[in-house]
Amino acid sequence: MALPNQQQVDYPSFKLVIVGDGGTGKTTFVKRHLTGEFEKKYEPTIGVEVHPLDFHTNCGKIRFYCWDTAGQEKFGGLRDGYYIHGQCAIIMFDVTARLTYKNVPTWHRDLCRVCENIPIVLCGNKIDVKNRQVKAKMVTFHRKKNLQYYEISAKSNYNFEKPFLYLARKLAGDQNLHFVESPALAPPEVQIDLAQQQLHEQELAAAAAQPLPDDDDESLD
Amino acid sequence: MDDFERAIMLIYNSAGGSAESNLLLQAIEFCERLKAGPPPTVLRLCLDRLHRSPLVPVQFWCLQSLHDVIRLSYSALDDLPLLRASLLSLFSDRLFPSSSPPFLKNKLAQALAALIRLEYPSPWPSPFLHLLSLLPSPAAVDMFSRLLTALDDDLISQDYHLSSDDVAAATRVKDAMRLQCVPQIAHAWFDIVSLYRSSDPALAAATLDAMRRYIVWIDISLVANDAFLPLLFDLILSHNTPEPLRASSAGCVLAVVSKRMEPHSKLNLLRSLQLNRVLAESELVQKLPALVIGYASEALDCYKRLGSQNEGSSSAMELLEEALPTVFYVMQTCEELDAGNVVELLSDYISTMKMPSQKQIVYVGQMLEVIRGQICYDPTFRDNLDVRDKIGKEQEEQMAEHRKDLFLLFRSVCRVAPDVTQLFIRNLIASALFSSDMTVEEVEAALTLFYRLGETVSEDGMKTGSGLLREMVPLLLSAKFSCHSHRSVALVYLETITRYLKFVQENGQYIPNVLAAFLDERGVHHPNLNVSRRASYLFMRAVKLLKPKLVPFVDTILQSLQDALVQYTSSDWTSKDLKYSGFEDGSHAFEAIGLLIGVEEISPEKQSEYLAALLKPLYGQVEMLLIDAKAEGLEESSPKVMSSQQIIVALNALSKGFSERTVTASRPSIGLMFKQTLDILLQILVTFPNIKPLRNKVTSYLHRMVEILGTMVLPYLPMALNQLLVDSEPKDMVDFLVLINQVICKFGTSLESMLEEIFPTIASRVFLIPASEPLPSGHGINTEEIRELQELQRISYAFIHVMVTHDLSSVLLAPNSRGYLDAIMQLLLLTSCSHKDLLVRKMCVQIFVKLIKDWCSNDAGEEKVPGFRGFIINKFAPSCCLYSVLDKSFDFRDANTLILFGEIILAQKVMYEKFGDDFIAYFISNGLLAAQCPQDSAEQYYQHLQGNDNKAFKSFYQSLIENLRQQQNGSLVFR
Repeated sequence: MALPNQQQVDYPSFKLVIVGDGGTGKTTFVKRHLTGEFEKKYEPTIGVEVHPLDFHTNCGKIRFYCWDTAGQEKFGGLRDGYYIHGQCAIIMFDVTARLTYKNVPTWHRDLCRVCENIPIVLCGNKIDVKNRQVKAKMVTFHRKKNLQYYEISAKSNYNFEKPFLYLARKLAGDQNLHFVESPALAPPEVQIDLAQQQLHEQELAAAAAQPLPDDDDESLD
Repeated sequence: MDDFERAIMLIYNSAGGSAESNLLLQAIEFCERLKAGPPPTVLRLCLDRLHRSPLVPVQFWCLQSLHDVIRLSYSALDDLPLLRASLLSLFSDRLFPSSSPPFLKNKLAQALAALIRLEYPSPWPSPFLHLLSLLPSPAAVDMFSRLLTALDDDLISQDYHLSSDDVAAATRVKDAMRLQCVPQIAHAWFDIVSLYRSSDPALAAATLDAMRRYIVWIDISLVANDAFLPLLFDLILSHNTPEPLRASSAGCVLAVVSKRMEPHSKLNLLRSLQLNRVLAESELVQKLPALVIGYASEALDCYKRLGSQNEGSSSAMELLEEALPTVFYVMQTCEELDAGNVVELLSDYISTMKMPSQKQIVYVGQMLEVIRGQICYDPTFRDNLDVRDKIGKEQEEQMAEHRKDLFLLFRSVCRVAPDVTQLFIRNLIASALFSSDMTVEEVEAALTLFYRLGETVSEDGMKTGSGLLREMVPLLLSAKFSCHSHRSVALVYLETITRYLKFVQENGQYIPNVLAAFLDERGVHHPNLNVSRRASYLFMRAVKLLKPKLVPFVDTILQSLQDALVQYTSSDWTSKDLKYSGFEDGSHAFEAIGLLIGVEEISPEKQSEYLAALLKPLYGQVEMLLIDAKAEGLEESSPKVMSSQQIIVALNALSKGFSERTVTASRPSIGLMFKQTLDILLQILVTFPNIKPLRNKVTSYLHRMVEILGTMVLPYLPMALNQLLVDSEPKDMVDFLVLINQVICKFGTSLESMLEEIFPTIASRVFLIPASEPLPSGHGINTEEIRELQELQRISYAFIHVMVTHDLSSVLLAPNSRGYLDAIMQLLLLTSCSHKDLLVRKMCVQIFVKLIKDWCSNDAGEEKVPGFRGFIINKFAPSCCLYSVLDKSFDFRDANTLILFGEIILAQKVMYEKFGDDFIAYFISNGLLAAQCPQDSAEQYYQHLQGNDNKAFKSFYQSLIENLRQQQNGSLVFR
């Protein structure tokens, strides 16, 4: 799709549409790439913003024009009109808010009506947050619709590249395509190793009241 | 272009970022204003523009707005006949020929579907009949399929969230369609597909895709009949059918197969389909895995619902088993398969077996083969997995996820057919050993299955080596695979050995084999660092289990490990290495040796000799470091500091094999040796007070020494503790208090004077620095710093708690500490009433209870702690025992809250015991009655308090509180 006002590049570029409920972290996600700083403040996107994200693959450079659409209807702009000529898509939900997952089918339907047969990735965001409401096991939508699913955490950069890699492979029709260098990402805001952190806290609590706990060996069974 | 078109194009193109934001906002506003006009005007505008503008974004905007008007402002529309006629004419018009963009046609279909939802069958009975009359021109067929699809998506399908209104509308439309036009539509489908299958297969496919959605709720005989089924199967089986059309036909057959009906009819339907025509075509089934699996699942479902006694059930099982080979085949050959569904099907199938028949045994064997094939890594990534680079890690993660369900299936197979499984794995291992054509991936998979098999073997079966295990485990122990140098093979080999160690425990003759496997190039001496470190950890676990049996081999083991030990402590560590390899793993070799030489089966002389030989080089290195360091300052990241850390970790690991009894009672000379290490390590604290990683390691070591040296460690503590207080940040303070708490738990009152000495320092850091306000703890502001402070707060309450529960409350009263007493009491009071963490509150209440017992006597004579009695009666009792409980946030349904409540009840009993009427009088008049408690309830309270039944008191007090809360209805604010 030729974007009249977008600076054109001489390597392959694709229009990528990002949809999902408001507050699921779509804007945060695309802003991890580039020099753009991660914004803690939530600004509902007005209509749409387009971010050109470049990736280096073993077959050369590619660019995704990421159309970051408004999740909230009232800031609609053209709404599903922005999906027109989309070549691939990411549907985002928030694993800490059940409703955002329940709305995934609707986003998917609306997307497919405008863009027939494009590769789509489903992303469960915010897996760094403690009180998760949508467990990985509960996520089954992608299986019914043949989408790829990734758990991500925009704040910690966890799995940032995965959705792009999947889409790049699909678009190039090459399963072995890979990224040869990492894009510059904003530094992680949080560490993802929750299990470690919880263990740490439990250990401290236990140690407070008694002599040191014995090694946490796996059982021999 | 006029303004209107310009505005829409501007918004559409603004995405490039070049439009001036002012202009953009104006354009957005302009369009919003148009849309916000009177609905009839908007409607006319949209219809008019649709015809006039050639610009796709403008057309889309018009259709979108049309859809919105119908959806949101239907009741305000004035000329409905015009709307209906216009939509239908758009449908049939030349405006959207087949070549126009699909999204425009879909949007139009959406708008019409929205109107049908509102108006069909009354006041508008004719839309479907009208559209049917336009068929079968290609453009009309195309639009008709889009309408049916939109109607399903937006109204009928249950895949989306539906309100009760939605459900009612869907039922109305479906009922009317069934009565009026479903048979005609079905006929039309048949005619369309027959007509276009060759000339316009895409159109035929689109028709079938729409039809597939309707099979769920229309009369099944309209599709599953002598005309339609032959057509569908012909499309599936014919070599000339284009793939999308074939897939659409298969989708319809799958919808027929999946139609909900009672099991007898379903069975008849399945039989009548004669799907074996398809199953027999090996090339064909690869394209239709979903149909194969859906069919098999439905057959299994029939079998289960009919119940095994029913005569039909065996026929259902026949259909399933007839399909099984094809299921296995598609599983092995189709890449795009959703493995989850197949695995579910196979697991279900396995669960129907109790005693597998001869025939079923064959299927089980095939299933194992399928599982094996599915869990193999892709050879493309062999090198990535060997060095475990980024791609290798990614492959491992993906495989771990992929294997989960397969392992569950494997477990069920093991349970139903253990002998078949054992034989299968035995053959795999044997051929891996004796034929060289098995790849790295295949050997890894075989060993992985062997490992998983171990999960299903009973304790007894493991010890005795049930079935073939007796032969398989020894085979494994002496196995060296041609690809053993590959990381993935070596790792799973060691894990598998570890899993079957209980067999070796019972069969001591294999101990030399186990030792060899862990200690030669398959284990600790494997060229891959990742493997050799894991090996030393697993070896440690082996030693834990087999310890007594290993005594005769101590010399051999020490010799074999010598170089690994030296390497561990002498290598030039950089922080990168440490991060790279989960770094303490190497230290497990020391722990293994400690466990080995710590047993008392070894003579005291031998033991001292071994230990000395190990310790000497270690603290020799530390001494060198200390000398060097005095000459030159050391940085935290310098290799010397790194290797010193490693040495301390090694000493720590080594000491884990020694018990307090050995070190202090039976072999005091060993104790002296450890004491010596402490002498040296404590100098590190003095020399490098500011290198935190070192300090952490020394602290850990102190924990160990407190554990095993007993009172011998006491003389070291004052210096060590004072040194640890130097320049300590909140995180260090937490570490410090954890140590102190351990020491108090271990030595109790004998620490009194030492604690009196350091308490003021601790108090000044811990109880004065964090603000006496509870720290903010909502989410969003939970930075690392705040988390550290919260942790420190929690641990410092634990510190007071440990102190008073170990009869050391006197420390708080020591002359040097006395100055802090007041502040600490206020802080404890506040925390006991309002801390967010209920367990911390509980701890504080327990502290007060203990202090009351310690510091107050029954008679009102001279007070041990002047003012304390008054503080408890006037402050603690009402604030904590009444007001904090009255607060709505005190949730009696929460388990932790109930525990806290129990402590609060206990506190009242203790206060009554100690203070008697002084407490009662104040609590009733200034507490209960002031909170508008009725007089008679207050009297009952008094009686319960005097009684012996704590449980009754507790439930009475709870209901009293609940009544008071209701009475106040939250209007009274205390404090």
